[in-house]
Amino acid sequence: MKITKRAKREAKHLYCLCLVKGLLDESRVRQVVQHLIASSKRNSPSILAHFLRLAKLDYAQHTAAIESAIPLLANLRTVVQTGLEHRYGPGLTITFAHSPELIGGMRIQVGCDVYDGSVRARLDALEKSI
Amino acid sequence: MANLLKEIEAQIAGAKTTAAKQNVGVIREVGDGIAKIEGLTDAMLNEMIDLGHGVTGLALNLDETEVGVVILGDYTQLKEGDEARTTGRLLQVPVGKGLLGRVVNILGEPVDGKGPIKSDKTYPVEKTAPGIIRRRSVSQPVQTGIMPIDAMIPIGRGQRELIIGDRATGKTTICIDTIISQARLNKAAEVAGDKDYRPLYCIYVAIGQKQSTIARVIAVLEEAGAMPYTIIVASPASDSAANQYLVPFAGAAMGEWFMDNGMDALIVYDDLTKQAVAYRQVSLLLKRPSGREAFPGDVFYLHSRLLERAARVGEKYGNGSLTAMPIIETQSGDVSAYIPTNVISITDGQIFLETDLFYQGVRPAINVGISVSRVGSAAQVKAMKQVAGKLKGELAQFRELAAFAQFGSDLDAKTQAQIDHGKRIMEIFKQAQYNPIPVEIQVAVLWTVQNGYLDQVPVARVKEFQNKLTEYFATRKGQLLAKIGREKALSDELKDELKAAAEEFKQTWQ
Repeated sequence: MKITKRAKREAKHLYCLCLVKGLLDESRVRQVVQHLIASSKRNSPSILAHFLRLAKLDYAQHTAAIESAIPLLANLRTVVQTGLEHRYGPGLTITFAHSPELIGGMRIQVGCDVYDGSVRARLDALEKSI
Repeated sequence: MANLLKEIEAQIAGAKTTAAKQNVGVIREVGDGIAKIEGLTDAMLNEMIDLGHGVTGLALNLDETEVGVVILGDYTQLKEGDEARTTGRLLQVPVGKGLLGRVVNILGEPVDGKGPIKSDKTYPVEKTAPGIIRRRSVSQPVQTGIMPIDAMIPIGRGQRELIIGDRATGKTTICIDTIISQARLNKAAEVAGDKDYRPLYCIYVAIGQKQSTIARVIAVLEEAGAMPYTIIVASPASDSAANQYLVPFAGAAMGEWFMDNGMDALIVYDDLTKQAVAYRQVSLLLKRPSGREAFPGDVFYLHSRLLERAARVGEKYGNGSLTAMPIIETQSGDVSAYIPTNVISITDGQIFLETDLFYQGVRPAINVGISVSRVGSAAQVKAMKQVAGKLKGELAQFRELAAFAQFGSDLDAKTQAQIDHGKRIMEIFKQAQYNPIPVEIQVAVLWTVQNGYLDQVPVARVKEFQNKLTEYFATRKGQLLAKIGREKALSDELKDELKAAAEEFKQTWQ
């Protein structure tokens, strides 16, 4: 679907209206989506598509995916969670996953930022440097 | 084996133990040498992006939700959903004297099969041009060895002189001649042990040319012994548009190293028309708004920021220089097209080559009337100024009178003499390709012409006279030529010697 500049601008405007204290408000998002679906405007599908994209990016920005070689203990989870909230602020959705292919250590991804302290990443870096 | 183990141990010891922050994105779209990447929120403009599979890209478009990247390599391995990451580095190329004599690609990697390049320094491809304070005016000549250029359109070190003309009019030949001339001068100075002479290193940037054309240029330079002083940066027609658009900047970076280190360099961009076309292609694929002739709005800036990097810097900053000779190909002699007018306005003069002159046998086919050098005359050798000062005016007068004489009216003796003199000058300026003439011989020949020693020679035999005269000066008056080269000005004593030599030669001429 071709998304025009105007549709992008309108989607961005709607996205900004859905923000409350820097975080996306779910009820407002629902309202906007319902309004756009019900709308008879010709470009509403493209506005909706771009709005969805912005919402997805926002969700990714506020989601921390934590992978570890072994399941993390509860106290360690709390430490990691506190550290991430301290760095990225509140409103972070945190998911924990168990990935044995990391061999050891942890890999944290928050939006586009990746903190890779796994043994696998170090081995890869070593392989590259050699 | 022990060495290898030690090496691995050192690598392990040096490996980072902390988890460094990385910025990643996901390829959303890939094709035609362009990738759209979602994420990469920390990407910088012109930053190198690691696309995986050993492929690198260059971030050119920083949008709100995605980054437009041109791929510098084989993009067929990349697919949607692949991870890309920022590197924190700008596109860089190796620089230094290790590149002399080599043929390299856009990344400075050798493509001549002569092994790896010895260079431990790199320069960013995109660099800000030297500012006003660092610069000084052009005052040293670039001896092209092409008589009409050295006499009437002189080029100085640090100047930007445009070579413009239709296809197959000898644009590249002028630049190759200049490179050969520099190599001969450099070699002569090396042999003589002249420490005052500043060698001029050359960089030839081939943009979007046929591989066979580039191979021919290399062969010519090798045959003339010019390769040890020359770097060839090639992005042939089979390269991606991104490579063709970036290769002049890579060449400029290599030239800047010489300038920054107090040396002189000459860079030939062959040709910027093809670079503009490649840039248009990249811009259209990146969906940038197009302007006149579908070129993007910043095509002027593309050429101005490239050519502004050619400069002569002050003594405080190393006294180096980078001379640029960009080439522009016109269509049917139309200099008022978009790209030619842009580059004409950026450069410090232009040498205009004409198809008509080329087919009339005037080679190099330089139209002296509309060719100019705005700053080069300050750098011209004084001896040349003395003998060639009036030449441009005389030729203009000749063209006017010749046009008038075409109507077939009877001419008075004075007008006829002026026309004949003009014809002889035109003959003198004809020159074989890849055969640059030393400046001393140019001065001696032009002095002979200007003092009427050719007036009795039939126009058809002028070239023969010139060749014999050149041979005579080179074989029997070597000391006189050396004196001209040393003093760089024609004193009364030198003029007397030239007169005696010309008289002596005239007696032997039949």
